[in-house]
Amino acid sequence: MPVKAISEYKFPSKSRQELYGDDQLVHVWWKDNPWFCAAACFRAPRAMPWSDFWSALVVPFFEEDPDWSPDQQFAFSIDGTPVEPKATDTFADIGLVHKGVLAMVRA
Amino acid sequence: MTIAPKAPRKLSMKDRYSALTRDLAWDPSYVTNEEMFPFTNFEGITIHDWSKWEDPFRLTVDAYTKYQAEKDKRLYAVLDGFAQSQGHLGLTDASYLNAMKLFIQGVSPLEYQAHRNFAYLARHLNGPGPRFAALCQSLDEIRHIQTEVHTLSNYNKLYTGFHSYVWQHDRVWYLSVPKSFFDDAVSAGPFEFLIAIGFSFEYLLTNLLFVPFMSGASFNGDLPTMTFGFSAQSDESRHMTLGLEAIKFLLEQDEKNVPLVQHWIDKWFWRGYRLLALVAQMLDYMLPRKVMSWKEAFDLYFEQQMLGGLFVDLAYYGITPPKFVEQAKEEKEYLSHQVYWTLYQFSHAASFTTSIPTDEHMEWLSANYPKFDELYKPLWEKEKRNVAAGGRHFDRGLPELCSVCQIPMLFTEPGDPTTICQRHSDFEGERFNFCSDGCKNIFDHEPEKYVQAWLPVHQIFQGNCGGASIPDVLAWYRMNPEDGGEYLGSTDHQNWLAWHDMAEKTGGN
Repeated sequence: MPVKAISEYKFPSKSRQELYGDDQLVHVWWKDNPWFCAAACFRAPRAMPWSDFWSALVVPFFEEDPDWSPDQQFAFSIDGTPVEPKATDTFADIGLVHKGVLAMVRA
Repeated sequence: MTIAPKAPRKLSMKDRYSALTRDLAWDPSYVTNEEMFPFTNFEGITIHDWSKWEDPFRLTVDAYTKYQAEKDKRLYAVLDGFAQSQGHLGLTDASYLNAMKLFIQGVSPLEYQAHRNFAYLARHLNGPGPRFAALCQSLDEIRHIQTEVHTLSNYNKLYTGFHSYVWQHDRVWYLSVPKSFFDDAVSAGPFEFLIAIGFSFEYLLTNLLFVPFMSGASFNGDLPTMTFGFSAQSDESRHMTLGLEAIKFLLEQDEKNVPLVQHWIDKWFWRGYRLLALVAQMLDYMLPRKVMSWKEAFDLYFEQQMLGGLFVDLAYYGITPPKFVEQAKEEKEYLSHQVYWTLYQFSHAASFTTSIPTDEHMEWLSANYPKFDELYKPLWEKEKRNVAAGGRHFDRGLPELCSVCQIPMLFTEPGDPTTICQRHSDFEGERFNFCSDGCKNIFDHEPEKYVQAWLPVHQIFQGNCGGASIPDVLAWYRMNPEDGGEYLGSTDHQNWLAWHDMAEKTGGN
């Protein structure tokens, strides 16, 4: 149902991908850890390999949990579909769109 | 004998009211009604007879200003006395003022927004009755923000976090929640605004907003805020009456209005309820001396009074309780805990402080919430160990936000308080995320409105908030380092201890 307005009501999204240049927003949700109240939001280059994303952005965020272990293994999914990112995969390779949510649970 | 002419009879209040409102109305002769009132058609509401509006405000401007001046005199006398007697030292604890910081940053600016839009209605509604009612409410709202600012300004001289509330309201991440709520309302049409603010906010949810804050003030030694509350109470009663009259008027004018009004009730109940998440945590976590739990407040002021009373009456018009109300009822067990846990880990970027609940506080939470020991106490116990080891749980990044309510996505699935609720919609090739079915439903009805939402996290990442680092953003927020973070050991806490120590040594002089 469109907005009822006195004139044409059409505005661009304020968080559309092009506003981030070569980057995109990615949410990472540690699903079985209530220590973190919500999924984390990161801005990352779209071409960033998974291994760099994990070590440069995800780990520094989640290691704030005192129970964090660098050896912990995780299973990943996007909107309920399991994914297995390889070290060289980009977000596009694993199907993670701008503002998509990557869920992870302890394996 | 001549008979002296009778002295002019003084009009009764009712007659003067009528003269002021109905008798000053006229039908335009050189423009059409549509040209004079151009904003009351596009929403699809049908009004057959504006004179059927029952005036809830039987006041004239002179009577209105007389009453308000008397109330103001009493309030300002209390403010002076409180300031001169160092009344702030009689608060239960300096941490109580976190609730008031949230109030002035989050709620008071909404009074000003309400003032502006009721002034707009006072010009643009077709009927003289609702125009005058809107004028009175507009005056009330500007008076409320003025008296709230004056009431709390005394604390600004002595405590952190009060200094830049206007600037912060337009920028800070957690204040985008109330701001976006009202921006949504004022950018709607006049009838939706009446249902959004006049009915849903001022009638349906007002007791859940004001009673906790004002009772909290009373229970915690904050005489000025309590006096402000009393001063505003009679106004709020009139606002509630106006809200009820607004919905009755729309429903009685034409049956075609019913589905539109129902949709607005569904939408604005959910939007208002999400906003009140901030009140829920305030009641259960920020008040050193408790008034009642959020669960009790929700049960009394919403379930009993509104669902058990108001909506029974509205069923006559074909109106049903708001969509997703069952989810809200379920959340009363969890809401405050989830929200405070969130504020706790982001309070390094806030203009208030947080702390681990004391043992006594946790006992109260356990006693009031059967699931507390299972779901939330373990988190606080873990944080106690973390603090003992020299840590403090502050998130190192930014959270995912709901694209409608703008709250971090902290709420859980219906029926499962251990799993965060994730919903999303795709619109014109872009993904938008939501915290609940309620917020997704709102977006799906009007996606064009919410795609332009100024989501603080996204704006920070776009570089529009002072810089990329947290210190840059806090500087842009005009937050001083002492404004937020941990309460224990904070500037407010240290001053509080020093002032009380000094008062003890000098025998209170």
